[in-house]
Amino acid sequence: MKLNSYLRKFATTVLLAAFSMVSIQMPAMADIVSTDQIATEQRSQDQRDAVRGFLDRADVQAQLEARGVDAADALKRVDSLTASELASLSEQIDTLPAGEGALGFVIGLIVIFMLLDIAGVTDVFPAL
Amino acid sequence: MLWLSGCVSAPQSDALLTHFSQDAGAKPSVTLSARIQLEQVPFFPQEDFQCGPAALATVLQASKVDILPEALVSQVYVPSRQGSLQVEMLAAARRYGRISQTLAPNLEGLLAQVQAGKPVLVMQNLGLSWYPQWHYAVVVGFDLPRGEIVLRSGLVRDYRISLALFERTWQRAEHWAVVLLAPGELPTDEREQAYFQSVSAFAAVANEDHGALQLAYDAGLARWPDSINLAMARANLFYTQGDLSNAIRGYEEVIRQAPDYAVGHNNLAQSLFDMDRLEEAKRHAETAVAIGGSFSEDYRKTLDSINSALQR
Repeated sequence: MKLNSYLRKFATTVLLAAFSMVSIQMPAMADIVSTDQIATEQRSQDQRDAVRGFLDRADVQAQLEARGVDAADALKRVDSLTASELASLSEQIDTLPAGEGALGFVIGLIVIFMLLDIAGVTDVFPAL
Repeated sequence: MLWLSGCVSAPQSDALLTHFSQDAGAKPSVTLSARIQLEQVPFFPQEDFQCGPAALATVLQASKVDILPEALVSQVYVPSRQGSLQVEMLAAARRYGRISQTLAPNLEGLLAQVQAGKPVLVMQNLGLSWYPQWHYAVVVGFDLPRGEIVLRSGLVRDYRISLALFERTWQRAEHWAVVLLAPGELPTDEREQAYFQSVSAFAAVANEDHGALQLAYDAGLARWPDSINLAMARANLFYTQGDLSNAIRGYEEVIRQAPDYAVGHNNLAQSLFDMDRLEEAKRHAETAVAIGGSFSEDYRKTLDSINSALQR
């Protein structure tokens, strides 16, 4: 039952990511950087810190290694996550219930982002 | 049975009440009184499943917005879900000129808001994590010696339950708690960035109401004089109002505090450019480009337009 809602969240994220690629084109006129942009950037920064903190945990690193993902590599690539991917991951981490299963799911999500990258669906981990 | 303990504990209540009883009513952990009851907060018994509109009207009325639950139903109630979404609750409050401030997941901080006279809108999961019964209520009081919290909830005006039970139901709703701030009011907690985020979400709705935004930024800066974000937001507000000299003064103050803050240099460059002070504008645009960052394309554009104006 929990898994179902996770899957729905994940599908939403993928759609959101697809839409944000379309809407990111801004008109080429010089202007100030708006308060809204500053706020969005601040949120992304906080989320990036949260994801980094998560990947820094020993139990998480062990699970990543178990799946053949180099933890240090994953950490390095947090910078290239898009705003919506960051938002999704940090939300999953925030609401992570206690227990192995949920932790495994978020790590699975990270690995999926990497696989989609290899398949050319996303461009989250350019070095792959 | 050990595995069960993780699911039913109420760590914050335990800590709070232990601390309170040890200090024998003198001064608990921070500055909470023994008992608080916000009698003047109105009560709207909910109809059908509409706890969202009822709870939202309660906190709006307490914040001097004259509105009844019926008027909110179409804005926050989703019939197919028999409930209201949290984001819509936050957005509706903004439409009535209030800043929706989400609180940290901290029971003591929540009670501190109540003590400061602010009823707190909360979400609870009255069921279980895998069989959720979502519910909105409003915290209007507490009684620490008795370990109780007082809510406007459902059909009961003064619904008293134990702090621990409240904490468990609140925890299962991810500790969602909100206070409504009239522009110029501040939350009791010390989270400057959270306040900035709330005000900027408010600004997206109230962008025409310059007076309200000015009040919100001024109040924030009075509390957090070093806040770069709030100082930028206020200078940006001057800029959008066409008050270039105040905008410039604001940006200059920001980069005096944070000389490596590229956004400050860029926005200063743009304002100077608008005043035809091209040479100074160019210097700051170049600084922004040199520092770079998330908005480096914007900085580049600013510099390009200044350069082409200089060549004319």
